[in-house]
Amino acid sequence: MSEANNNVRLVMDQLPGDDIQGRSPLHHADLATVAAQGSQEGGVTIQHHPLVGLLTLRCNAGDADQMAAASKLLGVELHCQPLTSSAGEGVAVRWMSPDEWLISVDGAKAFDLETAFHNDMPGHYALVNVGGGLTVLEVSGEHAVDVMMKTAPVDFHLNTFPVGKVVSTVFAKSSATIRRLADDRFELVIRRSFADYLWLWLQDASREYGLVVRT
Amino acid sequence: MNQKNRLQSGGRIDRNQPMSFEFNGQLMVGYQGDTLASALLANGVDVVGRSFKYSRPRGIVTAGADEPNAVVQLGATEATQTPNVRATQQELFDGLVAGSTNGWPSVDNDFMGMVGKIGGSMMPPGFYYKTFMFPQSLWETYETFIRKAAGLGRSSKESDVDVYDRMNQFCDVLVVGAGPAGLCAALAAARGGARVILADEQSEFGGSLLDGKETISGKPADEWINKVVTELEKTEDVLLLPRSTVNGYHDQNFLTIHQRCSDHLSDRAPTNQPRHRMHRVRAKRVILATGAQERPLVFGNNDIPGCMTSTAVSTYINRYGVAPGENLVVMTTNDYGYQAAMDWHDAGRKVSCVVDTRETVTGYVVDAMHERGIRIMTGSAITEVHGSKRVKAVSIAPINEDGSKVVGPAAKWNVDTVASSGGWSPAVHLSCHTGSRPVWNDDIIGFVPGPTVQKQLTAGGINGCYELENVFKEGLGAGKQALKELGLEPTRLMTPKVESHERNPAMALFLVPHRKPMSRAPKQFVDYQNDVTAGGIELACREGFQSIEHVKRYTALGFGTDQGKLGNINGMAIAAQVQNKTLPETGTTVFRPNYTPITFGAIAGRDCGELFDPKRYTAMQPWHVANGALFEDVGQWKRPWYFPKPGESMQAALNRECKATRESVGILDASTLGKIDIQGKDAREFLGRVYTNAWAKLPVGKCRYGLMCGEDGMIFDDGVTSCLGENHFLMTTTTGGAARVLEWLEIYHQTEWPELEVYFNSVTDHWSTMTISGPNSRKLLAELTDADLSNDNFGFMDWKTANVAGVPARIFRISFTGELSYEINVQANYGLHVWEQLFAHGEKYNLTPYGTETMHILRAEKGFIIAGQDTDGAVHPHDLGMSWAVANSKPFSYIGKRGMAREDCVRPDRKQLVGLKTTDPNVVIPEGSQGVFDPKAPIPMPMVGHVTSSYWSENLGHSIAMGLVKGGLSKMGEKVYYPQADGSVIEAEICSPVFLDPKGERQNV
Repeated sequence: MSEANNNVRLVMDQLPGDDIQGRSPLHHADLATVAAQGSQEGGVTIQHHPLVGLLTLRCNAGDADQMAAASKLLGVELHCQPLTSSAGEGVAVRWMSPDEWLISVDGAKAFDLETAFHNDMPGHYALVNVGGGLTVLEVSGEHAVDVMMKTAPVDFHLNTFPVGKVVSTVFAKSSATIRRLADDRFELVIRRSFADYLWLWLQDASREYGLVVRT
Repeated sequence: MNQKNRLQSGGRIDRNQPMSFEFNGQLMVGYQGDTLASALLANGVDVVGRSFKYSRPRGIVTAGADEPNAVVQLGATEATQTPNVRATQQELFDGLVAGSTNGWPSVDNDFMGMVGKIGGSMMPPGFYYKTFMFPQSLWETYETFIRKAAGLGRSSKESDVDVYDRMNQFCDVLVVGAGPAGLCAALAAARGGARVILADEQSEFGGSLLDGKETISGKPADEWINKVVTELEKTEDVLLLPRSTVNGYHDQNFLTIHQRCSDHLSDRAPTNQPRHRMHRVRAKRVILATGAQERPLVFGNNDIPGCMTSTAVSTYINRYGVAPGENLVVMTTNDYGYQAAMDWHDAGRKVSCVVDTRETVTGYVVDAMHERGIRIMTGSAITEVHGSKRVKAVSIAPINEDGSKVVGPAAKWNVDTVASSGGWSPAVHLSCHTGSRPVWNDDIIGFVPGPTVQKQLTAGGINGCYELENVFKEGLGAGKQALKELGLEPTRLMTPKVESHERNPAMALFLVPHRKPMSRAPKQFVDYQNDVTAGGIELACREGFQSIEHVKRYTALGFGTDQGKLGNINGMAIAAQVQNKTLPETGTTVFRPNYTPITFGAIAGRDCGELFDPKRYTAMQPWHVANGALFEDVGQWKRPWYFPKPGESMQAALNRECKATRESVGILDASTLGKIDIQGKDAREFLGRVYTNAWAKLPVGKCRYGLMCGEDGMIFDDGVTSCLGENHFLMTTTTGGAARVLEWLEIYHQTEWPELEVYFNSVTDHWSTMTISGPNSRKLLAELTDADLSNDNFGFMDWKTANVAGVPARIFRISFTGELSYEINVQANYGLHVWEQLFAHGEKYNLTPYGTETMHILRAEKGFIIAGQDTDGAVHPHDLGMSWAVANSKPFSYIGKRGMAREDCVRPDRKQLVGLKTTDPNVVIPEGSQGVFDPKAPIPMPMVGHVTSSYWSENLGHSIAMGLVKGGLSKMGEKVYYPQADGSVIEAEICSPVFLDPKGERQNV
């Protein structure tokens, strides 16, 4: 990185050494015990993916150089098509708005990505580490769609919500970024402070189908 | 009680599955497949309730959603009490407990019945308005008494034990009603590949076909129903919803369906299963196949138990195997009414005669009566019913051709059941919900759906189409039409073959004449549930009410839980007749959601109890809970309010927390503060435009406080923004203002200054923020970090990155207490770790956690404002004495600059924020108290502003307050008075709001 560029923005590794264990927003719920002691069979499975690296990228979709550079840095195509996503080895990119994408990587890789962008991304952009403020849940199973229908005012029919589609919307009384991973599998990116509420909600909404918690 | 009215065979009930239930304390037995109503009739129960106003005994009139009388209270336990349940729609289950909702002390010995009987003509429409209003002071007494004696049930006094649910649905075609039209429409739509939802309020699909004896293509109708339903069940993207009432039709084809998932199973829903589910449907096309409801005729004492609609009689016989009496007389204006006589006769019971109001009748119905030896009396009507708790006899008299006059003497016939048919009223309710007015159709003598802006189709009875063959055709046609409009290809479908009959034209008759005028005749009930009579409607018209909407409100016509399903058309026709108008001239009232009463549970879904509203927590929440914090709601956040020790009062806890912070070190969880990451080469310029002060020269590594104003120059948020890099800033906002500020920045960026290169991102949840504050905060932090914390290298309003307790952190030396303070920010997954480490090292410094209340006191001691508490949207920076935070010399303007330069904003006597020192140092002025300059001024006293913040300051040993006072900044040392509700007056002196350390030495050490 050039000396002149160095002071433009603050890029810092926000994670401590491995000796200090991060605690996800659902850490206190002790989901490992819930998973071990709870039901092992049911129509809905909920899984928490703690400590995922998440970053918000803002840049100009009309700038071909930026788009090319960003795609190269991410290792997957940065799509401009609304409500889409792209995924590659250890990385997924979700379209959020015409100049915004939500990127997930392995928790430890966020700083590397920030550094790489800082060094090589041309033009006006912002790549902001938001991993501490969000967490990732996965809802799957035969009745996963039913639980989603209870929670979000979105049409989840496969014709209108195919695998790979991303929608950020009202989720119960909070919000979520929803990505369809398979016919019966959904990824939710939710805000840290709402994690307790949404967990309780999903647990309650799933109960009639039989709930399995997995770690 | 034995089932004396149960037929030996027939019906869709299972006689091998008896079910016991309790009604008004009496144990009875019905069968699987019964409704509560059919089981009551089978057991010979005549009186199911008392009427609302006159307290007359009432029996079951219909077999469906239009039932006005059999509205019962359901529930075996207090927690499962449900009011407003129509016995005609409640499926019987073993152990069901129900009771009448009207009648006190009991339905058979009723208190209001006496009033009603004595009252009679003394209870005209508007009776309650007219009588019980005076003297006004007694109204509450009257009301308690009336409400106890009348009313339609009660809610549970305990929490509902059941779970309710909501679901969002999307479809191409929503078909409402699964009768012959609806089934055909759904089949056509499904075969064309559309996503279909078919909803019906009944337990089984089939609609009117379930009630009759029709054959389709030579086979019983239920074979055809089964075939269609089976095919629909197997078709992909078809959702079948029985026991689901489409209760509301809202704009943009949004409909709400109330599904009763387990009401038919037991008093309580099975474990983990919802009791009701509300489907919120977005449908591309809606096909209303809601059918029609039979109008009863209006005649004298037509409310005596035993009077029913003719279809109800047929339904109870054919569907439930119940003949609710021994000896029937039918009165009809049309051919359809004869069906009840045929069914009753075929069930082996006696039909005395069919009274037809028409002069002549020929054809099929006449043949059918001849075959059965049933007498037809044409040109006649039942003018009056005799009996009290059950029909004993009827008076039948000849009437003239248009049905306006009795033209001969009446003969008395002994019967116990009266079936009446005044023709059909299409169930247009849903089509009205979005504002479409129904249109009168003379041919069918009924209102049909009017023009609508919704994407809506109709089929069958709702259109006044009643011949089964045509109903099928309309259903298939609507399904195909929907497909066409959706760009889908319809497939060829055969119309089912049915027998059809040539019908005599029906007669338009709404009120059966009596030899006495309306006002003198025995009560001729129009609306059973509200005790509205023909005489009452006539009186309302005579008293000057002309508009049907006014007549409705004055008489309460159509006001009940049944929404006038039975009575509205008759009532309107009677109003028209009294006013010498036609029905189209009188018009109709319209219907609103919901079609039938709905439980609050279904509306609330699972948004109740713990899930009523989201509770937002910071990363340190588990520690707060473990350490006894009490919480305060700040927006949806739960913030620690204060941390009482066992047995400690709130004030004692606050005193302790305040002292500890000023004397050693306190800690606050400030994670809820809004945080916005701002990047771009124009970030600095942008800040200069949204804040009132200057940002051009803020160097990297420094922080600055800023005020944010609206266009009107009034403060709406404040906070500290730090320069992280040349083009990189971190803005903090108030906890409650976070979302609004981000929106504000985006709106200005996107609409006013899109040329500025800047991006905003919320990082509120990403960073955990903890503030350590007090003279020992440096010593404490030094134990956990390798950063140079000396005042020379890390001064007030500086920030640095450094490790704290092994975690990379951003440390901001900013202060909201006026003490030496460090605000430590770490990635939120490590917030609790750092917090715990601070406490691990903090004991020797008496590290004391404090909450929002102590934060408020400490900042008030320093005169720091809280946007939204000391400001109210009408306060600009100069009003706060904060002119130092306004830079008018910036090259580009800033939001609010013009606003605060307005004439009104530069008045010297504006309300300005000042400190208030009470003359009695121990008195804390209540926040919100209104100030006056002269406490002896005559009322209304000129008020000069209110107290915005007020506390006991343990550190200072006296109370402190801030308040807005007119011209306050130039009144230092003068007195202001705060009269209290108890008559006392608190005297205070206007002073600087900075009560402690006015030079700011403590935060600069």
